[in-house]
Amino acid sequence: MYTYDTLDKALLNQRVAEFREQVKRRIAGELTEDQFKPLRLMNGLYLQTHAYMLRVAVPYGTLSSDQMRKFAYIARTYDRGYGHFTTRQNIQFNWIELGSTPDILYDLSEVDLHAIQTSGNCIRNVTADPFAGAAADELDDPRVWSEIIRQWSTLHPEFSFLPRKFKIAVTGADADRAAIKFHDIGLKIVRNDAGDLGFQVFVGGGQGRTPFVAPLIRPFLPAKDILRYLDAALRVYNQHGRRDNIYKARIKILVDSLGADQFSLDVEREFEKLDPDLLAVNEKEVERIRDMFALPYLRPDTDAQAGLEQAMEQSNPLRRWCETNTEVHKVPGYAIATVSLKPVGGIPGDATADQMDTVADLADRYSLGEIRVTYTQNLVLPHVRVADLPLLWAALDQISLATANAGLVTDIIACPGLDYCTLANARSIPLAQRISERFADLDAQHNIGPLDIRISGCINACGHHHAGHIGILGVDKKGVELYQLTLGGQGNRDSAIGKILGPGFDEDGIIGAVENVIATYLNMRTIGETFSETLQRKGHSPFKERLYDHT
Amino acid sequence: MIILDTKGQAHGERRGFSEQQEPPLFGATAIVSAAALKERFAPTDTDSLAHTGVSLTVDDDLSDMAGYFPHLAMVELVFSQFKDGRPFSTAVVLRRDFEFKGAILAAGDFLPDQALFLLRAGFSAFVVPEQFTAKQFKSALLAYSVAYQPGLGGAPDLLKTLRDPPTAVAAG
Repeated sequence: MYTYDTLDKALLNQRVAEFREQVKRRIAGELTEDQFKPLRLMNGLYLQTHAYMLRVAVPYGTLSSDQMRKFAYIARTYDRGYGHFTTRQNIQFNWIELGSTPDILYDLSEVDLHAIQTSGNCIRNVTADPFAGAAADELDDPRVWSEIIRQWSTLHPEFSFLPRKFKIAVTGADADRAAIKFHDIGLKIVRNDAGDLGFQVFVGGGQGRTPFVAPLIRPFLPAKDILRYLDAALRVYNQHGRRDNIYKARIKILVDSLGADQFSLDVEREFEKLDPDLLAVNEKEVERIRDMFALPYLRPDTDAQAGLEQAMEQSNPLRRWCETNTEVHKVPGYAIATVSLKPVGGIPGDATADQMDTVADLADRYSLGEIRVTYTQNLVLPHVRVADLPLLWAALDQISLATANAGLVTDIIACPGLDYCTLANARSIPLAQRISERFADLDAQHNIGPLDIRISGCINACGHHHAGHIGILGVDKKGVELYQLTLGGQGNRDSAIGKILGPGFDEDGIIGAVENVIATYLNMRTIGETFSETLQRKGHSPFKERLYDHT
Repeated sequence: MIILDTKGQAHGERRGFSEQQEPPLFGATAIVSAAALKERFAPTDTDSLAHTGVSLTVDDDLSDMAGYFPHLAMVELVFSQFKDGRPFSTAVVLRRDFEFKGAILAAGDFLPDQALFLLRAGFSAFVVPEQFTAKQFKSALLAYSVAYQPGLGGAPDLLKTLRDPPTAVAAG
């Protein structure tokens, strides 16, 4: 993993000191709330319904066990004993006092963590494939490039007051586990015909009020030019993005209004003006960073699977967990294990301080001290020996983190909603809890198969409802919370935006509607067909007809 | 209003558009709007332009004035509000595309906390907004000794700097 050197640490310490001074000025009344707001937001500090909320970056979704222990410490010391992992691989602490924030940032800096640019109209924490460095289908480790982008974008003098927030995602695999096409810029690592490493560049994706799947604007960008190209794209956006309407200020609106071809031309023109050497990525620096992410030698173990099969024959719960919550590792005999933060009836993404400490210990014991955070609000132990899976599963089960539901109907993504967020129109968490309880039976869940339910409490779409197979959007209609249902979204390499099925439902009605949609799928599916495949084959009509005839 | 350069040195006061700038501000004895610049001068009036500064709003189009920039003494970029970061890019483009070598002055609504960004984007000085003090700006200019990006102001560009070897190569 990347560890900070003296220069990284110097900048981080100076940032902590600067924010301590800003908080002091705010408390002393030398800064108005309007002046303080963009400064606190650039340190991830929101003022929410009940208290300040601090959003801490998990850099490209990668954590060490010590960093996870620090989260547990923060949760215990400054919050109410838990934290909430978000849909952008970050963690939020919801009950923070303003005066404590400089101390929290100091504590975080001791383990190279921070809250820099986790909010505000700046370049946010880079999202990356949570299976990076472990996935069998990976071309190159996206964390190397994410770290380079992190450095370039941190306290950028020109791009810290953009028209709106700016999110970049990187994947090194064909199977997109970072939803890159729903980001302002999505980068997919590829090789050209000559074998050179580079990126496909997608620009202008996003959710919110006006969702777009990002179009491809550069089929191949040599890896060394990544910062030069980002610099060009950001400058075009900073100069020409709309600032008159917050809902039309994201780069997706600029790309849509100009057209992807024209936007691409504008960026290329700017790219050509830039000194090729000024932002060329230094190969030695790439290697320095790459070395820090390098996987130590792991001895392949081709016999491990047979041993696991034996263990699974003794335990159906273990079998179910291995089927849904483990993935193939690039080294035979190792596995990638998903730690579900979606227990039945739980709050998606929440973890207690004790759970965080235990996951950190398990990471040390079974996963080379590494943990990942997924945008689907789960944790991942990326390097687990297949032979250790039964032990890991048993240990996770003891702390209620072994729910065998990764990718299933109760693995629900939900934003904090009206329970915490001042922007929300409707509650998301209680709805997620009710759906989770309704489909609690694991046999039934496994029978239903892969199915993403995603819930947003307002049109800002932090719950990624546009990209859910079943998406639920909370709206306020004349003071009443209503929920709209969309079907057909996808957040993978075949990214797609779900379509609204019809009029909205109240809270009871939406639970029934979800049941109805799933029952319709089960009636229509052929053997082995997933929800998405059935929807694609049959279209929305049968779901719509059945839903609105029966509710 | 007080003017500070990016080293924290005071430079007299910014006077109004119709007033003689005395003593001259970064070589400009008068500061005019974009419209007045185009109305009163031709790009070939190099002697006059050498003593003139232009004040630009965020909506002014630089390409309209391309011929003037190499000869102007000073350009003032006015922040309509501190959240609108367009002047940062304008400063970069002025230096690069329009080869403007004179002073770039920040005016309008911005915060001391943006002072280092201004310096690193190519600004030479700022008109201290009324609600802040010169001391706050001087202090903000000293907040960071390092930066990750290439930029003006002398901070090392960490992306190009030979970095410490990793203290320990951790797994994964």
